[in-house]
Amino acid sequence: MEIVVCVKPVPDAETRLRVAPDGTTLDIEAVKFVLTGYDESAVEQALLLKEATPGSKVHVVSAGPPPRAEEALRASLALGCDLATWVETPPGVSPDPLSAARALARAISTIPHDLVLCGKNAGDDEAGVVAGALAELLGVPDHSAVLDLRWDAASSRLRFQRSTEAGMEKWEAPLPCVVALQQAWNDPRTAKLPAILKSRRSPIAKVASEPIASTAGTTRPTKFELPPPRTGAKLIEFKTPEEAAQKLVKVLKEEAKVFP
Amino acid sequence: MPDFSLTPEQESLRDLARKFARTEMAPHAAECDRVSRFPEEIYRKAFDLGLLNLNVPAEYGGSGLGLFDQCLMVEELAYGCGGMTTTVIAHCLAVEPILLAGTPEQKERLLKPFCAEYHLASFALTEPSGGSDPGSMRTLARKEGDDYVLSGEKCFISNAPQASLFVVFANTDPSLRHKGVTAFVVPRSAKGVSVGPDDEKMGHRASSTATIRLDDVRVPASDRLGAEGTGFSLAMRTLDQTRTPIGALATGIAQAALDHAASYSLKRETFGKPISEHQAIQIKLANMAQAVHAARLLTWHAAWLIDRGQKGTLESSIAKCFASDAAFDVADEAIQTFGGYGYMREYPVEKLLRDAKLTQIYEGANEIQRIVIARELLRGYG
Repeated sequence: MEIVVCVKPVPDAETRLRVAPDGTTLDIEAVKFVLTGYDESAVEQALLLKEATPGSKVHVVSAGPPPRAEEALRASLALGCDLATWVETPPGVSPDPLSAARALARAISTIPHDLVLCGKNAGDDEAGVVAGALAELLGVPDHSAVLDLRWDAASSRLRFQRSTEAGMEKWEAPLPCVVALQQAWNDPRTAKLPAILKSRRSPIAKVASEPIASTAGTTRPTKFELPPPRTGAKLIEFKTPEEAAQKLVKVLKEEAKVFP
Repeated sequence: MPDFSLTPEQESLRDLARKFARTEMAPHAAECDRVSRFPEEIYRKAFDLGLLNLNVPAEYGGSGLGLFDQCLMVEELAYGCGGMTTTVIAHCLAVEPILLAGTPEQKERLLKPFCAEYHLASFALTEPSGGSDPGSMRTLARKEGDDYVLSGEKCFISNAPQASLFVVFANTDPSLRHKGVTAFVVPRSAKGVSVGPDDEKMGHRASSTATIRLDDVRVPASDRLGAEGTGFSLAMRTLDQTRTPIGALATGIAQAALDHAASYSLKRETFGKPISEHQAIQIKLANMAQAVHAARLLTWHAAWLIDRGQKGTLESSIAKCFASDAAFDVADEAIQTFGGYGYMREYPVEKLLRDAKLTQIYEGANEIQRIVIARELLRGYG
């Protein structure tokens, strides 16, 4: 099976974010970029499918600026992906979701692909647009919020679950298709040291992106703001549970005014 | 021009060690310290990820890192747990003489098994009568035909309770003093090798240490490392390689102590404000930060020199000595910042002081480092 997995670098959740002086982008000077958690799950899923299906290959693709998109690809190669393609976009901000989908579709259409895996959305903008747009552009169906993806060779069908508000759904579907994965139902593996070293020397195919401005329907953020700082927690000191409950109710009534 | 920026590859290596230290080591550090447990499952995971054979070249299946990259990783690991990191670097220390003096056949035969499967090696130089004076070594190697027969006792041997292979230094001709010292590899399974019980230690309690006894242990000449009489120089060349990572280990402990103290100072209030707003604490934190920063840069500089092919004896001794003293002082000040809480086992900083203490002693006590530093220094004036 030819598996393509799409990855996006996002700011590490442990980074302290700052808004850039222009007010519409993040100050990425001191930001460390990592694979978004959804994409980590997608890469893990791709590798599990490859291991369960002899003769499979995993091709990782990213559309983004240097150096972080290249780093996301090398991190994926270190985890066990076989090939990497980078649609290099201009330095600075990541492309907006539709531009990213177009760039990815152009690259993926030139490489073998039975199954295209994506995280269901990225941990930074949470747009959740790329997988659906990518499926449309590639002319294949897409399945979203997918968990527990398996390949049933006997029936040549993918079998998977979808988590919906109504509960878990069980599905089967033929290839080709795009699958957007839910985060971390699998426990993503850690790259081993020799694989990290090898990934630094692995070739990455580069595809030039078309200028973002020439593509219609793109979006751009107009303003970024940090959330207001949290006010301090109030600690209630007590000797007995009864005293704790009484003091808590008093605070809820008189200070937080949750109760009349 | 010197360049202090790390390459993307070095960033990735450091990230791997950092992640391992914080997710696999740190959560178990307090428990292993409390009950003195050797967490084999963690060392097996470290082996699987390539974190154990850091200095073994890739051709034998190791990670093949230069000294600078080893130091980057060791600092991160030590941030998670100094004791667990000692297990890793004690293994690297034990394979180093094989790397330096092994024949191609010996390297192939001895190193590959360590990279194929989880096993630990152990470096056995120190004796009960003295660790810093190899000339007075009492372990003897008597030649019998093509074999040597080893007898003696080695103490404070890290990894000894678990090691499958020992690198043992013994004297083939005591009349030559240190010029009679010769290195051998001795499998644990060899007849006459016995390992004592785990030593109860003040710190590094996730690592294991024991005395080993050699009672007429027969070693074939094919397991001698280098020529007869070259063991002392081999031990010194080995320590020239492994001294700098002790500086990195100490830096990791010091950084952990500083981080704990700084975070605590922002939360703990006295006289109506966080203690971080009192100058007494600010001065402590500033001094601690200077010590950590200097320890790291001295370590990086020594490792960089050695990676460039220089001996770096002066610089690695300075790095080891300074960083280990800094670790002890910074851990001490971290406890002071925590006040009474810092003295309690429930809080993480008193362990850091106990762990820091060993870095001033092992792989050449700091008194020896100062002798080396002075000797190297005075050469430039004579």
